[in-house]
Amino acid sequence: MSVEDRVVIDDLPEITPDPVVEAYKAHVDRTLLRENLKLTVEERFLKLMDLQKFAEELREAGRKAREKR
Amino acid sequence: MTDLRRIVKVLTEAKIEFILVGGAAATAHGASRLTQDIDIVYCRSAENIQRLVDVLGPYDPYMRGAPPGLPFLWDSTTIHRGLNFTLTTSLGDLDLLGEIAGGGGYEELLPHTMTLEAFGIECLCLKIEPLIRVKRAAGRPKDLEAIAELEALLEERTERE
Repeated sequence: MSVEDRVVIDDLPEITPDPVVEAYKAHVDRTLLRENLKLTVEERFLKLMDLQKFAEELREAGRKAREKR
Repeated sequence: MTDLRRIVKVLTEAKIEFILVGGAAATAHGASRLTQDIDIVYCRSAENIQRLVDVLGPYDPYMRGAPPGLPFLWDSTTIHRGLNFTLTTSLGDLDLLGEIAGGGGYEELLPHTMTLEAFGIECLCLKIEPLIRVKRAAGRPKDLEAIAELEALLEERTERE
């Protein structure tokens, strides 16, 4: 990419409705978002870390189960 | 597991100039999607790069996905010569981005940031609207669900205000 082709944030268009994004948006679980919006940023990060830990434990459990087979 | 708290704390306490972007930034805004790594855009000044080298060195940074044992030298020359680094560290997976597609680098993103307070520290995070615009500009199919969620969040926030 040449310097002239380089796009930075100030060159980007404003957010306008996109039919593909709108189609995906219809399936977003807004109840989760509403609950998250009640939390502080720190609480949101802690929730993410808990989820990461849980995902890691599931991966590990899956790995062990496969080894047993 | 990526220790988000420690990574942000370590970088902030070392006075690294960085902006939280990507999935962790989306989480800060209220997104519910699971993200496994932390993406930051770092300032490419010589001083900041040296600070990054010094602070991350003890946490064994290495190229994520590369076979072990490659001669990867974690020093300022490596960072100056490269731009974006997807790393594993003993704190977890960390993407150091000199630039993001459609967003540019640290200086260009800086006016579009907000200050987050968490774990007794403050750090910069890309605001939600620019985060959406950057993800849209990147044009990656894998981002479509994340974009939809961020836009839904924006609507929910607007309704609450």
